Amino acid sequence: MNWKDFRLSFSLLVLCRLLLAVTPYVDSLELDHDHQLSSPTNSYVRLQEGIFLYKHDVDPYSGGAFYHSPLYLSLFTTVLPTSRFLCRLVWTLVDALGAWALVGIWRERQTLESSSRDTLIAAAYLFNPYLFLPNLALSTASFENMLQLLALLFACKGRASPALFFASILLHLSLHSVLLLPPFILLLLSSPHSHLVNPKFFIAYRNPKASLGTALSYIGEFLVYAAIMSLCCTTVAGGWGWVEKTWGVVLTLPDLTPNPGLWWYFFTEMFDHFRPFFLMVFSVHLLMYVAPICLKFQHDPLFASFALLGVLGMFKPYLTLADPGLFLSMYALFPEIYPYLYHPLVTTLLHLHAALLLPLFHSLWLDQGTGNANFFYASTLVFGMANGAAMVDAIWAGLRIAVGGRQGEDEGEIAVVQE
Amino acid sequence: MRLFTWTTTAYFYITFCLSLLTTTFASDGATSQEAAQDFFSRHAGPENGSNHTNNWAVLVCSSRYWFNYRHMANALGMYRTVKRLGIPDSNIILMLADDVACNTRNKFPGTVFSNQGRHLDLYGENIEVDYRGYEVTVENFIRVLTGRMDASVPRSKRLLTDDRSNIFVYMTGHGGNEFLKFQDNEEISAFDIADAFEQMWQKKRYNEIFFMVDTCQANTMFSKIYSPNVLATGSSELGENSYSYENDADVGVAVIDTFTHYNLEFMEGINKTSQLTMQDLFNTYSFEKIKSTPGVHSDLFTRPLDRTLITDFFGGVARAELIDENAIVEHTSGPTTDVDEAELARSEDIPLPDILADTKNSATSGRRSSSPGLMKQLRAWCPVAVIGVLATWIVMSR
Repeated sequence: MNWKDFRLSFSLLVLCRLLLAVTPYVDSLELDHDHQLSSPTNSYVRLQEGIFLYKHDVDPYSGGAFYHSPLYLSLFTTVLPTSRFLCRLVWTLVDALGAWALVGIWRERQTLESSSRDTLIAAAYLFNPYLFLPNLALSTASFENMLQLLALLFACKGRASPALFFASILLHLSLHSVLLLPPFILLLLSSPHSHLVNPKFFIAYRNPKASLGTALSYIGEFLVYAAIMSLCCTTVAGGWGWVEKTWGVVLTLPDLTPNPGLWWYFFTEMFDHFRPFFLMVFSVHLLMYVAPICLKFQHDPLFASFALLGVLGMFKPYLTLADPGLFLSMYALFPEIYPYLYHPLVTTLLHLHAALLLPLFHSLWLDQGTGNANFFYASTLVFGMANGAAMVDAIWAGLRIAVGGRQGEDEGEIAVVQE
Repeated sequence: MRLFTWTTTAYFYITFCLSLLTTTFASDGATSQEAAQDFFSRHAGPENGSNHTNNWAVLVCSSRYWFNYRHMANALGMYRTVKRLGIPDSNIILMLADDVACNTRNKFPGTVFSNQGRHLDLYGENIEVDYRGYEVTVENFIRVLTGRMDASVPRSKRLLTDDRSNIFVYMTGHGGNEFLKFQDNEEISAFDIADAFEQMWQKKRYNEIFFMVDTCQANTMFSKIYSPNVLATGSSELGENSYSYENDADVGVAVIDTFTHYNLEFMEGINKTSQLTMQDLFNTYSFEKIKSTPGVHSDLFTRPLDRTLITDFFGGVARAELIDENAIVEHTSGPTTDVDEAELARSEDIPLPDILADTKNSATSGRRSSSPGLMKQLRAWCPVAVIGVLATWIVMSR
């Protein structure tokens, strides 16, 4: 048995995760009510509520408790189980699929069939606490991450239809994934390889005769898939009420349950007549990152989507730990920037700091009552700073690598293929 | 002859199909309604039938000045009883027209007693008076009942009932033929109360009301009520006075009225698990004890009095069912229950209901017919099927 064989080590990692999922101790932690691990749009408790209502002929979107997409309703009333134990297994398999997709993206980026770093990358996804804790809490953010990585994988492979299909399903689970469509299209037209060292204007490597028309045809195909999925959603939900309650929720923020994000506290203390204005400001704030990042990293669209995932992992309306978790795990795909990171230690320490403060202040506020919401909001600000530091450092290194000159660039086991 | 048999066969066949169809669609229609009805009747059983989910109390003392100490004590006695039996402060509207506990003539400041010898302080440390002093007016009382208030009125001063609330309305003070005096300068008439109750009925603000009045000629106050589900009782007939019960020598004034005193005495024997009925309460009324003729107006009340529990109005009994946390959400018409019988508060004289049999009955009685269930299954499978088809098509066509 070759321990370095990826299939073996991957199976061992997945086995470890399965064992973790079925440990009875995990049940006693009551993770699915934890505010850091799941938010109203991806909480398992609300999913069960919606499925119960749906099964008993009550429209789950008529009240204010259920914000999941109708696709979840159909999935869990047909093929997937709803019992907690089986759901843990399903969620672990979802994470395993996401890890496999991440390894596939790495392999596409290096044009390798297998490499010695595969196991490390799979472990970076499977054992990232920001990812496996929401997974144990049965947050549906695991599904979103898995679909995101699958779509990126197929985009890296250059297969437009599967990539756009998964992206359209992801659009229904999380509206903000549409921000990743531009780098997707760029990735489909060019290559996933690392061009960070050599920034040039955008070259459509895969399809030299590509034009704006090709990009528009990709967008059109995406819209067709999205429209088909919308019609399916309407069939399940029995009307168009789901649009307001799934996509509308992330735009109008009716539910102000605390989460590690930056929106909820702002809107708890806002006067009503300012609300539409600030909702617009926060949403446009997300939009405005797309164009600059895509323009700046047009030579390496995979890196651009990585940076945009970092932006989403900071500024999403209903944030959980899984969103910056995906960003941090994807750091493993870009080892060429490690010598150029300006403050990796500060970022790590900020993350440690935030990881200690978030549960502490949450408990101090809501369990013991000796603190108040400001405590928890301060810890989410620290968390935001940590994510911001990680993102800014990644972008800085991605740009700085083009200048070069750092020692230790070509040392080490892996010579990163750069063009 | 053959034509006759054909037509009759056809006729019977069509009737049979129509009846099958109507029973199909008739039985499926309101499964969620059936589930709700099932929930209410399951533990109430055939003996009870009360379908309220929350209890409220409106306790009004409408007279001021020191010599009306007993009216304050009446209201506070009812307040204490109602709180003891489980209605929380958030569901009680207490209106006291004057503050006798902190009156300068009160030899025992900060206290209100309702018996000779001052054995029990009704004021205590934990009471919540919602309308006090000059806020106790006819207008405020009617606004409380009907819910027609300015948006600035805080929640603690509102009667936030719904159509499954049982309300206990208690009024005490000075009254007469079809009126009750408020604050010595205005009066509310029996017609006003009847109209207020009717407004509440139209707005679905109550399930059942128990209206108790302790004034002179009190029975006239409920004589004009015309809304359903109202049970009323008063302390004295037209032309009769209601009397106070006893004086306390050191307080110096009468401390309680007879009608309220005997009601409270009956209530002292009641706790939250009591199964005593309103009929038992009314059976204790007698002219010899109360010195006036109490009246009971149950014409508008739909349930039989010997099946109506005291705690339906005076208590805030919560019915809790423990649900197995790991239960699978299944296709049943009612929620699966796994009731821990040892934790249910039931008195020893009532046999424990057979909960398992009830669950089985509810499951079989509420089963949906197949046709709409099939449609729902098809609708649920639609996205999964579409995703599967699209995925295979994409994989196939490289």
